Amino acid sequence: MMKKAIVYINQFFGQIGGEDKADFEPVIKEGLVGPALEYQNQLGDEVKVTHTIICGDNYMGSHTEEAINTILGFLEDKEFDIFFAGPAFRAGRYGTACGHIGKAVQEKFNVPVITSMNDENPGVEMFRKDLYIFKGGASAASMRNDIKKMVDFGKKILNGEELLSAEEEGYFGRGVRKQIWLNPPVTAADRVMDMLLKKLNGEPFQTELPIPPQDKVPIAPPIKDLSKATIAIVTSGGIVPVDNPDRIQSASATRWGRYDISGLDRLEKGVFKTIHAGFDPAVANEDPNVIVPLDAMRAFEREGKIGKLHEYFYSTVGTGTTQGEAARMAREMIPYLKEANVDGVILIST
Amino acid sequence: MKLELGNFYVKDIVFGDKTSYSNGILTINKEEALKVVMEDEHITEADLYIVKPGDKVRLVPVKEAIEPRVRVNGGPVFPGVTGKLMQAGNGRTHALKDCSVLVVGKHWGGFQDGLIDMSGEGAKYTYYSQLKNIVLVADTDEDFEKHEQQKKNRALRWAGMRLAEYIGSCVKDLEPEKLETFELEPVIRRSKNVNDLPSVVLVLQFQSQMEELGYNDLVYGWDTNRMLPTYMHPNEILDGAVISGSFMPCSSKWSTYDIQNFPMIRRLYEEHGKTINFLGVITTNLNVAMDQKERAALFVAQMAKSLGADGAIVAEEGYGNPDADFIACIVALEDAGIKTVGLTPECTGRDGRSQPLVTVDPKADAIVSTGDVSQLIELPPMETVIGELQSLARDGLAGGWAVDEILGPSVREDGSIIMENNSMFCGDQVVGWSIKTVKEF
Repeated sequence: MMKKAIVYINQFFGQIGGEDKADFEPVIKEGLVGPALEYQNQLGDEVKVTHTIICGDNYMGSHTEEAINTILGFLEDKEFDIFFAGPAFRAGRYGTACGHIGKAVQEKFNVPVITSMNDENPGVEMFRKDLYIFKGGASAASMRNDIKKMVDFGKKILNGEELLSAEEEGYFGRGVRKQIWLNPPVTAADRVMDMLLKKLNGEPFQTELPIPPQDKVPIAPPIKDLSKATIAIVTSGGIVPVDNPDRIQSASATRWGRYDISGLDRLEKGVFKTIHAGFDPAVANEDPNVIVPLDAMRAFEREGKIGKLHEYFYSTVGTGTTQGEAARMAREMIPYLKEANVDGVILIST
Repeated sequence: MKLELGNFYVKDIVFGDKTSYSNGILTINKEEALKVVMEDEHITEADLYIVKPGDKVRLVPVKEAIEPRVRVNGGPVFPGVTGKLMQAGNGRTHALKDCSVLVVGKHWGGFQDGLIDMSGEGAKYTYYSQLKNIVLVADTDEDFEKHEQQKKNRALRWAGMRLAEYIGSCVKDLEPEKLETFELEPVIRRSKNVNDLPSVVLVLQFQSQMEELGYNDLVYGWDTNRMLPTYMHPNEILDGAVISGSFMPCSSKWSTYDIQNFPMIRRLYEEHGKTINFLGVITTNLNVAMDQKERAALFVAQMAKSLGADGAIVAEEGYGNPDADFIACIVALEDAGIKTVGLTPECTGRDGRSQPLVTVDPKADAIVSTGDVSQLIELPPMETVIGELQSLARDGLAGGWAVDEILGPSVREDGSIIMENNSMFCGDQVVGWSIKTVKEF
């Protein structure tokens, strides 16, 4: 069966007008307008561009939600297998518009969305994690070339062909790292040798694991009066009630739990244990307080060093757990801590 | 130090009357071999299988892989482990190539154990699907750890080593098909031609995270948790001075077979005298306490510098917590003016969006990535399972699970499986075989 595509363009390329028409509200037209002709040309007989959507860049910028809802409404009764937006070249508002609508269409209709921008277009940084944004030219002079890259890739997706890395395909990396088998195969030993010789000889080399910018969290300002503060314990050391009621995984955890410790003076062995698979559990199982120092915190409470200990401790497992999952779990814990007016957290790793 | 490795290329393995090797055919007397396995009273039952590339066989829980070898002038293949202490890396060792002894639990697996598919889509995930394997499947009376996620696997691992020595002994007096010589002059007695080349050390970070003895890699029988970094001759590594431990998610682990064959060492030997001056190996560890990590990095950088290294390669066995040692070591070497390349797997999470190493530093600007431990793998049922398939889900293998609301259990009723790469047996091949890398999509 023939596949169907829908194309999104702005008021200028949609032949509505220039800057003076930038507030143009979205419309959907059957058939091909402006760049859609070029898409159809390049898509050939396998894929038919059925509709062109046109929207003013300013309208999308100032009425983003309305514009998106209107366009999603247009699409509700349409059948389509792929959605193209742009190319937006270096036009910032156009790029941002392509990003907004592309993201919304992808989420709602679960079809591949492809756009194209120049690397100086601010839309790239805003949406590169969400969409396939191909590396495009600076101006409309590169229209044909940009559309060709988008269409070639779109056809690969529609035909179920193997998709190569961002660099090889020509889009801005989406921050998704996946293992691949090198073809032709080159062993790691050979790659190390090659990289080392280049580095030793002062020649350019390409690391296979670019170091991401460090996501350092600044140290929080000190609590002014600890004797009035509520302190909570959060641990990635896997301390849980022995039956592990939240079924937190022993490695690569995606779950966490919070456990009531009000009325307890210490964590008793046999009542709590660690399910963490990344260290020798013997000591922690014998005395869970070595990871969740309830005994020490109660002593501080009695001495008036801290105001009080929060009624729950929060626990997950850190081994093999990705930073992404860890950050998500933290975001899920935070509302509970805030609700209880927790002033400080002791974060215990193992 | 001069090591001669005499190679016998195994084309087929069969059971027969006499354990022997002739014209590429390795014959094993099963009864006699099992007697060697059963020498340890802790082994309660044992059986042997032969599996070859293309066989419709899935092995799990795989605990260890060993290359069958014999020390021609006598002595244990693994000094300080299977026999008395003696110098490894000097003299003649014979090896049965293209085959390994695989040790598989009859029932029980653990965090550190892995899976091997000998054919189909799953075969590409491990090196061992390309080898002819003698599979020891056994159970033990080590009840104290039967239901523990962390297992020492002592009886099974040692049985595997005994078996590898027993099988290897059949080529003791035969003439090898190929003789490889590994020899390095003492560091300060090398020719001008060699000395003028950039000098390189290989830093091997062996797994040592467990405080309790019995889980970590051993160097001449010594637990790597209890050592400080030390200088070793590469021949020692190639000749049985180090054995694999029983800790770490399996894909990033180095089996004893991996260590015996260490492709990165062999590659450095190939370049020695041509493009580099290979100074040798700094053996270090991956202890968990911060001061131990810092101390190890200090020792490594000092040794490399004192040896006159211009360049270094750092390879870590594992990921996660050890990433801190990996990066610390690279930073210490770079700070000492030594140009360093890292060799490691990464962990980007199931969606591929997580930071690939736990610790990062811009000074680690040259890294070769051997794969991503966290990627999901779905495989159809396999005709024959050796071991127990359920162990993948039940026993806490690093890449398996019993329950998941979205994905379901790792082992499905029809025998198909879904798992993380984490449990592919030594699948990330950090020792240098890996033809995998990680790219951004």
